[in-house]
Amino acid sequence: MNRQVMGLLVLLSTVFAVACSDRADGLTDSERNGKSLFILNCAPCHEDSNPELKVHPPRLNGMFSTGKLPSGEPATDEQVRETLVHGRGIMPAFDQRLTKDDVTDILNYLHTLK
Amino acid sequence: MIVKRTLWFMLVLLLIVVGCQHKEKRYKLHGQVLEKDPASNEVTVDHQEIPGFMAAMTMPYEVKDADAMREMQPGDVIEADVATANGGKDYWLEHVRITDRSGRQSAKVGTVHHLDIGEPVPDFPLTNQDGKTFKLGDLRGKAVLMGFIYTRCPMPNFCPRLSSQFSKINEDLSKTPDDLNRTQLLSVSFDPKYDTAPVLRKYGLAYLDNNPAGFSHWEFASTDPADLRNLAEAFGLEFFEEGNQISHTMVIVLIAPDGKVAKYWGTEWTAAELEDALRKEMRTVKTAAISEERTGQ
Repeated sequence: MNRQVMGLLVLLSTVFAVACSDRADGLTDSERNGKSLFILNCAPCHEDSNPELKVHPPRLNGMFSTGKLPSGEPATDEQVRETLVHGRGIMPAFDQRLTKDDVTDILNYLHTLK
Repeated sequence: MIVKRTLWFMLVLLLIVVGCQHKEKRYKLHGQVLEKDPASNEVTVDHQEIPGFMAAMTMPYEVKDADAMREMQPGDVIEADVATANGGKDYWLEHVRITDRSGRQSAKVGTVHHLDIGEPVPDFPLTNQDGKTFKLGDLRGKAVLMGFIYTRCPMPNFCPRLSSQFSKINEDLSKTPDDLNRTQLLSVSFDPKYDTAPVLRKYGLAYLDNNPAGFSHWEFASTDPADLRNLAEAFGLEFFEEGNQISHTMVIVLIAPDGKVAKYWGTEWTAAELEDALRKEMRTVKTAAISEERTGQ
């Protein structure tokens, strides 16, 4: 019995460790970094939009899976990179804030959003 | 036997559930309090990089501890824990410790300014979105609402909010030509290196529904760095570059038609309040004009 209980404990502890670990999200390092950058730079407008903004930034989930940007244009890495770097409408340019690699990581994370 | 096994299983399951729910993370913050808003229990902190959570920047944080909120004053240097939940979407300050109170007297923040209400505004030179130079004094005779921005600002509660609400005021005033003639909106950038005339023009058009005619009533301007420092000092604006970003306070100024400072705002305002105050000053233009007409008769 003790052996069975210990076995169960070990099994569940492993499940616990994996389930609660930050690495249990199934993301690559690049996607995980992209997620952090997304939360800091994109989510303040695209997830919790300030109602006082002239235009309410759309949520970005499913952009790549549907193949269309919120504007209706085809969702391509080039188009999203261009928007991130140079801004669009009231969205500011992030060229001074994000490196090329940062933008790549954000793009990789955006691809994971369904 | 079965009962014992089930108890063990439930205990371990409980551990898993409790463990997984405990997702709050804490990060060390070190910075200076720039503004304090007791109404929303928020302080705006200019802080150093928070490793693993946030780059160095100025932003508002909620403070849940009422004693800490009461104790903190603008100018204080603090250390605190940034508690986070929901993957960093929710965050607030805990365990606030004031490490230096000497900045309280000298803190030039928010609406603390050198130009008092009623003082005339100096003739600062500016260059607008079309590259045309002008002076603040050229706007005399109109009620002027002036706000400070930089076009790269990524904080939705700062420059994008200010410009969005100026856009709303501009739309309201545009409904009546007489209101347009007696008022002027002015957004002044404190990032002249990046915010050149073409950048300001592109930025302005985004808030003017791509109608360049709107620039006649709402100009976007910058000035050279030396004049900018004087301008900022005159109106109590605090800003400094940190890496590739600019930390700054928010300042909106209402300048009366006689060229004197009529009112200041920091972060606490609504578009309706700004517009009401602007219209109130605007009416003095009409009154003055009517008085002149009567005197002439």
